[in-house]
Amino acid sequence: MIYADNAATTQISDLAYEAMIPFLRYEYGNASSQYMFGSKAKRAIERARLQTADAIGANPAEIFFTSGGSETNSWVLGGVTDLYSDGPIHIITSSIEHSSVLNTCYELEGKGVDLTYLPVSNDGVISAEDIKAAIRPNTKLVSIMLANNEIGTIQPIAEIGAYLRGQGILLHTDAIQAVGHIPVDVEELNVDFLSASAHKFNGAKGTGFLYKRSGTILPNMVFGGSQEQGLRAGTENTAGIVALGVAIEEGASVLKNEQIRINELTRRTIEGLRLSIPGISVNGEHAIRLPNILNITIPKVSGESLLHLLDLKGICISTSSACNAGKDEPSHVLLALGLSEEQAKSSIRISYGRYNTEREVEQIVEAIVDAYRKIVECQ
Amino acid sequence: MDKKSCYLCGKENLSKNEIGLTKKLLDQDAKSFYCLDCLAEYLEVDADFLLEKIREFKEQGCAYF
Repeated sequence: MIYADNAATTQISDLAYEAMIPFLRYEYGNASSQYMFGSKAKRAIERARLQTADAIGANPAEIFFTSGGSETNSWVLGGVTDLYSDGPIHIITSSIEHSSVLNTCYELEGKGVDLTYLPVSNDGVISAEDIKAAIRPNTKLVSIMLANNEIGTIQPIAEIGAYLRGQGILLHTDAIQAVGHIPVDVEELNVDFLSASAHKFNGAKGTGFLYKRSGTILPNMVFGGSQEQGLRAGTENTAGIVALGVAIEEGASVLKNEQIRINELTRRTIEGLRLSIPGISVNGEHAIRLPNILNITIPKVSGESLLHLLDLKGICISTSSACNAGKDEPSHVLLALGLSEEQAKSSIRISYGRYNTEREVEQIVEAIVDAYRKIVECQ
Repeated sequence: MDKKSCYLCGKENLSKNEIGLTKKLLDQDAKSFYCLDCLAEYLEVDADFLLEKIREFKEQGCAYF
């Protein structure tokens, strides 16, 4: 099998896997217990907190472990809304956010929160000027993703953060696709909140974290014990947290070389496809993008058909559309870029990761070209 | 529904699954359809793989199957 859907999830690294196993099997103590068996788990969690903080330029006390990205995004959006329950607040977000942000926003709208969904350029980038123009007296939160999960475009968070600082407007960034793939530093980004998910950077599923700037208030996610400074109660997922810490540290140590290597895999893919398939366009081509995500529109063919034909050859990629009972819905991200429904449905996402090779890229290109020809021949 | 026959071997009365597979894997607006064996040969895959895909599509609730 060739796995080229690393934006969906990644293979856990050997180091992260080996680090978590003892905490599933033998070191199963509760980190809140007072005896040494519990203290071992507590120390392992705190080590992971330090590793996580180091990787994003934060202090350990600013890291809160969660179950993953969706929980973290919901926590920030819902929590900030709860902070200002005395009057209707305004939140600014974008039209290309992940569903965990957008669906939370729709829910909050139902509760009386004013939402602004900013458009993006044809290359999938949000304008910091648009954010400035959208601010109202009751704007309390701006939530913009650091990198888009479908097309990989990187948003100008540092610029937005610099503008918002000191204005009494909090800035949250969903950095779920970015952490582990590009350098992420919370000080450079000027963010108050940042969400990340371990399984996107070779950690285990079911674990993520929230960065919350020191001094920033956020209500509880879960009530109960004193775990995670009392904000997210419940016995910690020690094994998952340990794996997260190891994965983020390992990722940071190889980041520079991996960015270069994966960028080259992506470049070769585009080059190979363009040699054989006419009319291909790369979505977000002229924007600064993550090295690992490539979203392409291939005229005349359905992305879903390509996905399934590649699947038959043991290659995993994804489409931006979700098939529902025979009717595929076009991606909201691609529509926001100005693509037609037909173009959006003719798009696929290839996302590389640490374990992809040049040989695999050749096989992927070959398989896509072959599938394209088979589909077109039948039309 | 109109009865379809295989574009390559002429097999008549293609099943709903065979018609669905052509639409799903090649073109939802397909004018020509394939029986399971001819489609497997055309795509250079084992017919069992296609049966597995049919099962997968049914589980997903795809209306073609």
